Amino acid sequence: MAALGARRLLRPGRRWFSETLPGGPSPAASPLYPPVVASLTAKSKAAKSRRLQRFNQRVHAAATVEEKLRLYGKLQRPKYTVYPQTFALNADRWYRSFTKTVFVPGMPPRAAAAKPPAAAAGTTPEGGRAPEPGAEAPGAAEAPEVAKTVEPAAGAAPYLDMGELRSLACDALLQESFYQKKKRPFLYRDQDHTPGPFLTQLVSTLAALLSGRNPLLAASSLDLYPEVNYYWHHGEETVVHGHRKGRVDPVRFQIDDNPHLQIRVPKQLPEVVPLESDLGDVPVIDHKPSKLPLFKKQYENKVFIGSKVADPCCYGHTQFHLLPDKLKRERFIKERLEDQIEVVYRSNGIASLFAWTAAQAMYQGFWSEADVTRPFVSQAVVTDGKYFAFFCYQLNTLALTAETIKNNPRKNICWGTDSKPLYDVVEDGNVKGFNDEVLLQLVHFLLNRPKEL
Amino acid sequence: LFPGVRQAQWLTKTKLVEGLPPAVQGIMDNPAHGLQELEERAKRAVSHARLWDTAEVAPRREQYCPVLFENLIHICRLMSGKYPSLSKRMLARNCRIAATWERESILLQVRGLSGILMNSMTPIPPVASKEEILATKEHVLETFYPIAPTIDLQEVNVYKELNHTGQCFGDGYPYSHPHTLFFLESANVRTDRFRPEQLRAKMLMFAFGNALAKAKALHGNDPKVLEQPVVVQSIGTDGQLFQFMVFQLNTTDLVSNDGIKNLVWIDSDQSLYEKAQCVPEVKKRVVTKPAGIFGFQPDTFKKFLALYLHGTV
Repeated sequence: MAALGARRLLRPGRRWFSETLPGGPSPAASPLYPPVVASLTAKSKAAKSRRLQRFNQRVHAAATVEEKLRLYGKLQRPKYTVYPQTFALNADRWYRSFTKTVFVPGMPPRAAAAKPPAAAAGTTPEGGRAPEPGAEAPGAAEAPEVAKTVEPAAGAAPYLDMGELRSLACDALLQESFYQKKKRPFLYRDQDHTPGPFLTQLVSTLAALLSGRNPLLAASSLDLYPEVNYYWHHGEETVVHGHRKGRVDPVRFQIDDNPHLQIRVPKQLPEVVPLESDLGDVPVIDHKPSKLPLFKKQYENKVFIGSKVADPCCYGHTQFHLLPDKLKRERFIKERLEDQIEVVYRSNGIASLFAWTAAQAMYQGFWSEADVTRPFVSQAVVTDGKYFAFFCYQLNTLALTAETIKNNPRKNICWGTDSKPLYDVVEDGNVKGFNDEVLLQLVHFLLNRPKEL
Repeated sequence: LFPGVRQAQWLTKTKLVEGLPPAVQGIMDNPAHGLQELEERAKRAVSHARLWDTAEVAPRREQYCPVLFENLIHICRLMSGKYPSLSKRMLARNCRIAATWERESILLQVRGLSGILMNSMTPIPPVASKEEILATKEHVLETFYPIAPTIDLQEVNVYKELNHTGQCFGDGYPYSHPHTLFFLESANVRTDRFRPEQLRAKMLMFAFGNALAKAKALHGNDPKVLEQPVVVQSIGTDGQLFQFMVFQLNTTDLVSNDGIKNLVWIDSDQSLYEKAQCVPEVKKRVVTKPAGIFGFQPDTFKKFLALYLHGTV
């Protein structure tokens, strides 16, 4: 018996005093013993939960956001790297399950409501102007004469001059593809040759032109080739091999994204639907993520929106993604995977926007144990130079870990369109088949702003 | 070898004037453009480029120099909300310039990648008055006797004399007037970068090349005095120091040493900020310098913006 053995050891050479002092009993309020809690270092479930609680308290008590981020990503373990631009089949379903996102086709209702004023106004001023250049072929020479801003009053419903915007877009396109003499594109780098510079030109000139309408754009910050990273846990698995075999670990994911262009603003975009709305179902996938295929790597756990926490422009507005040559449409058509073309756009939109909005939320101090109190909204445009797809994402919850997801009814929502061409073909200094709707949608994206402004 | 600008002056038959031309100064001093409020934005742009842009501790020059340039251009471009005619500008990157001319029986040529070029639909009006142009007749070009002025220039057998604005843009391009050239010295290693003097000389040569090619495109290949001088601006930077230059091509008659000369206004070595501290400097457990930008000079940004707005405002 252990107790008997202990007493035998105690007796030789040890005087055992009884310590009751005559001066009254100890104060009754404080407990005699320290609280009985689970051990910190034992290999037991109670000890593990106590360690987890201590970690959560440490992160909650962190003084600055940088400290919080540092503690959040301190422990490095093998994690799945999620690539937004991927050729994996049906990747968007998998990504929706990893990020608890509901996909709603089409654009959110507020964007649709804003369209009619511009469309109606688009026809009236254009009727007044003499030769409407016919939406298809502005040609570089005609554009300057016709593109005059017709703005009766910058009042409640400012008219959008589609002619001017169209000529700007066509000029950018023609400059990059036709007028500027460039060398031949590098092997498999076609996207850097023409569509990349075209996108940069288009967005920068459009944003500058529309900054008069949208004061949020006037205070914005434009990043070229920024880096966006996010690290999160979702679900649980048992470690398969190694010295940690048999332990239950959260499944870790990391997104490292490089959008082509992004616009960051100092004020947040307004919410599209209330925080607790339920617009659909999140797909549940029973397989391990490595079946996608997704591979594990262990490296730094970064959370980054494009600039550090000290930057005043800490909310995101719009991202622009350019699809690489590997994922071009012709390749999918050749391999008879036409339905996967839209999947590429969707998975890029969902993954990149989730990473961006979640990183923005972390910059504000929210994390999986301290869920967001207001929704974070951002937009993205995914393109391959000719076809444009628009996405709008609302982050309602960051709580995706195994414990926090149990009682969490909230879901993130992503609205997205199919990819539509902006133009048909560029020939001899003319842009044929220019699609105004795509340009209008892009303009609406750029004009999006909080209601107070 | 030589202070490069002097050599470039001789090669391009140019007279140097210190400081920026009065037209640009006028834009700077005009309070209607709201340059004061933009100071805050410019400071934030510098902080973003130098401090916040990377997930590492401090960005390197190869990263922060282009980012700083993009941020400043973004602020300038946002002015087109106020002045809609500013949207008639287009940036062209990686365009190649080629221009040839004769200088006292030596055939000279400028070729190469000329950085980033901004084109506009309308040309910049001439900056110098007619009297100033005529006064350059009396100006004598500095010679470097006994050193030949073509020292340090590469002698090449040229088989085709090319004279296109960068050979870059086809016919019917609407933004046909070169407005400003931007040079970014962004190499990480200091020896790979141009020194300020050499950078100014490079800016002068390329501005001259662009102006000459444009003049020949407009008025033909014969050497003559231009009725409408062609003005091309140029800005060069290494991320901290800025060199501003306005070049006016008055004549394409470059063979002889006398007659009307071209004019160039140079404002050199304008620093935008003194120091960018990424990590607070701590000496003996006391923070001596907190992190941030020190010694921000708003005037340099005002000059940048004034050169951008020049020609449209």
